[in-house]
Amino acid sequence: MTDLRRTNEPVEELQSEVSARILTEADCERILQRAHAMARGGGDTSVTITSWWQGEIRWGRNRVTSSTDRQNHVVMVSRMMPNGVRGTAQTNQLDDESLEGAVRAAERISGFGSVVGRGVGYYPPLPSYERPTSAIWSDATYGLTDEARGEVARALIAPAEDKGMLSAGYLEVRAAARAVLSTAFPELRNGKHAFWEQPYIRWTQAQCSTTVRNPAGTASGWAGGSSYDWGRLDAPAFAERALQKCLAAQNPVSLEPGRYTVILEPQAVCDLLELLTRTFMREHPENGNPGPWRLVYDDALGLWRSKLGLKVADERVTISHDFTDPDLGIVASTVEEPRSVTWIERGILKSLGHLLKTDIQSLDGWHSRRYAVGYRMSGGDTSLEEMIRTTRRGLLVTRLSNLRGLDVESLLATGLTRDGLWLIEDGKITKAVNNFRFTESPLFVLNNIEQLGEPVRVFRPTRGEGEQLTPAVVPPIKVRDFSFTSLVGAV
Amino acid sequence: MSPTRRELLKAGLGIAALALVPRPLLARLESGWEPVPPIRDPRVKELALAAVEAARAAGATYADVRLTHTRTRRFTLPRAAFIQDAEQMAVGVRALVDGCWGYASSPVWDRNGVARLGRAAVASARTGSAGRTREVELAPAPVVHDEHWTMPVEIDPFEVHPFEIVDYLQSLALFTTRLPGAGVSNNNCTFTMQERAFASSDGSYFTQRLYRSEGRFVVGYQKGRERTGGELELLTPAGLGWELYKGQPLREEIERLVARLEEDLSLPLKPVEVGRYDVVFDQLSLARLVDRTLGRSTELDRALGYEANAGGTSYLSDPLGMVGKLEVGSRLLNLTGNRTERGGAATVRWDDDGVGPVEFTLVRDGVLTDFQTTRESASWIADYYARQGRPTRSLGCASAPSALELPLQRTPNLVLAPAGDAKDFDAIIAGVERGVAVRGVDVEMDFQALHGLCLGGNIYEIENGKRVARIAGAGLLFRSPELWKSLVGLGGPESLRRYGMATTKGDPPQHAYHSVTAPPGVFEKFTVIDVKRKA
Repeated sequence: MTDLRRTNEPVEELQSEVSARILTEADCERILQRAHAMARGGGDTSVTITSWWQGEIRWGRNRVTSSTDRQNHVVMVSRMMPNGVRGTAQTNQLDDESLEGAVRAAERISGFGSVVGRGVGYYPPLPSYERPTSAIWSDATYGLTDEARGEVARALIAPAEDKGMLSAGYLEVRAAARAVLSTAFPELRNGKHAFWEQPYIRWTQAQCSTTVRNPAGTASGWAGGSSYDWGRLDAPAFAERALQKCLAAQNPVSLEPGRYTVILEPQAVCDLLELLTRTFMREHPENGNPGPWRLVYDDALGLWRSKLGLKVADERVTISHDFTDPDLGIVASTVEEPRSVTWIERGILKSLGHLLKTDIQSLDGWHSRRYAVGYRMSGGDTSLEEMIRTTRRGLLVTRLSNLRGLDVESLLATGLTRDGLWLIEDGKITKAVNNFRFTESPLFVLNNIEQLGEPVRVFRPTRGEGEQLTPAVVPPIKVRDFSFTSLVGAV
Repeated sequence: MSPTRRELLKAGLGIAALALVPRPLLARLESGWEPVPPIRDPRVKELALAAVEAARAAGATYADVRLTHTRTRRFTLPRAAFIQDAEQMAVGVRALVDGCWGYASSPVWDRNGVARLGRAAVASARTGSAGRTREVELAPAPVVHDEHWTMPVEIDPFEVHPFEIVDYLQSLALFTTRLPGAGVSNNNCTFTMQERAFASSDGSYFTQRLYRSEGRFVVGYQKGRERTGGELELLTPAGLGWELYKGQPLREEIERLVARLEEDLSLPLKPVEVGRYDVVFDQLSLARLVDRTLGRSTELDRALGYEANAGGTSYLSDPLGMVGKLEVGSRLLNLTGNRTERGGAATVRWDDDGVGPVEFTLVRDGVLTDFQTTRESASWIADYYARQGRPTRSLGCASAPSALELPLQRTPNLVLAPAGDAKDFDAIIAGVERGVAVRGVDVEMDFQALHGLCLGGNIYEIENGKRVARIAGAGLLFRSPELWKSLVGLGGPESLRRYGMATTKGDPPQHAYHSVTAPPGVFEKFTVIDVKRKA
């Protein structure tokens, strides 16, 4: 075996590659091999490399305030010595000394605790499959230079400024890469990469959003979107929509809290459904933990039943995700077989994600997905205009903000409407309305649907270094008896 | 399984001083790569000055550079001693051109690299402004000539052997489980040490070494079929070292907590009766209340709409018109800010603008007297300072987690002044005949810090100065202007408690920490609702 302990290239060359924004596949491969070769004392090693670059531009009060270009890369070394616990050390330097330091630190930490007799146990035969490559890299996103970003920002500001309004907003393009190499369970390997490893994968993300307010601060409109592909985002349309909402939101009236028929724009729908997507886990109901999918305790069998197979939503609702869907742009993850999954099909709870342990112990073979990391909801063919036209009295909601869960079983939550709320009377938008606090549950919404529109991509921003986008494609929904519990004068 | 005492002694505590990660990180300071020197090394200064010079030469009106070296160590118990180490180096250059801030950052400390960053920052600023100039005036700040400051901590957490920390955490858990009915569900702590160097085109250069420690210890208590839980409030983020654990009476606090949980379960549980009551807030609830209403709304950039697309705006929407005049609360309300208090989570010697923060008064006797500012935002209310005969200066609120991020204006440590002489929460309750007492609630605000909802925590019914029942499912609604005007009582100096808090702000989101010191307080005519009740 060749000596991989020292790279043949001088360190300076490696470091200069950083200016190439994200690490390439060859870089990652080299670092992974070197880090693995540094391990001493046996046991298992797992090395994860994450590398990201972000170009951002931010504006407020009709002027660009900051334009930034940032990047970082992180190598996380995890060592599990024989009979030791998992020790993890992380560094963001790529030279030999730093890597070796991280490996030694991980080994030392691993030696601090002990787990005797860690065995593999029984694993069913592993599947062999081709990793699907979803379309998640866009040159348009990667290539949006800071000049271009500046131009886009100014183009977004202009309509608002021309009308005497104040525009604030944010545009970000991001590229990231990830690679995981691990030595665990060599007897279970099947093919070049085991399912718990991540062969080099890179992806891009773009987001753009803008808020337009009037100088008095009494009206506010918002629009935004995100996608892996900058080319799919219609930035001028966001600026126009935010401005129109701001102009239409002037002179709001206060209404009585109560139950209203509500038309939730897609952004509001995904804000509310966010509470739902993390609940698709089988172990929670089956262990008796309170949650939306727990049914009853079966005394005869001595176990908790879940609602799998039962109708939990309107039959027009199907929530699923597909890795290869370009609109979703999901970054395929390790550990599970990446396949498309349907969580709710025509209102019936079809599948729940589960832990690896459940796979091994209770299911035969390998199944996919722990929870929805992105989802597409089915829609209908009622346009937003049609929904408004057929509403005798209701409210049109742009988006929801500051959500807070209140009850884990019913998923009851409280939050606020934001950036545009209008009263609809006899099929027409008549007045702007002051924001409400709502107390409602996404499950209630999915069970009281009147009309559905066409699903569209929504604004689902990244949440920091190394984290992946949780995209969604949702339709606008008209719901009856949506509960607004108090007035909120905030704009 | 954590190491036994015997194993510890065998390993030899003499090696305790050895860091887990040997000094390997490299920087390219001169010709080749070499281990990162201590932050005081003159070569670090050369690197910093080179970055600023490059930005200057490229045409920046103002430029500064930050180099940070951050170490983090995280312990997560109880199941197995799980320790995570992380180390990060970063350098970031900020340049001001035509009123736009350009920023470029990378993980590599390298001579050529920092010059490239300087030029990139200026290029970004240029493309950002592109002729549409924005007026930015940086309030004057004294030049700092090559100084250093180390945050004074009693015990450097990175000098303590990890065995000792794990052992101590385990002992706290063991102590708790020996109390009847008590169990531990969360037991972890995180230590961060950051060395930073700063240089600016004004000629400042300084270095700092900062610490932050925090922990979480969650206790569960069961009596019969009923369960409850609580958390140790002494372990919130602070500018302290290992003395966060060793220097505080944690065992007594755990005993007090368990006794309190036991007392809670002995009180009957009643459903909420909607209405208006006198409400007593404990120190933690009042700290959160003041932080999320006045702490957020007095951020000047937020008040002027620069966060409109992210966190929102402020109900103090006309800063220049309101400052010095607006009554934001009753005469009892006195709120100050600082970044100097010892052990404060936002405490620094110089902020990320290079400014040495001073203590300042945000609210005096209920009147708004200042806003939180940085060098840039201070000039926005320069007229007010001029009217007051005060110099226009930054209050030192600029902060960024590391050199990778652009500094933003963040909340400093806040102190709500005590009044009267009530010694603690129970003493204040004793003065209320009928009402509601609230402990450890969460405060949910809207995007203008205007309307709020308090929920969660423990809510009790007060009768004749004593807690007589627990109230289930209650929420408290308020509106910030009216809230502070209905403040009728505060605890005395002995009742003050300090809590560290983490906040997120900006696009992209950035974390920052600060402490809030507050006494318990009483409000009259607070609206209590059934939080789970739909319309």
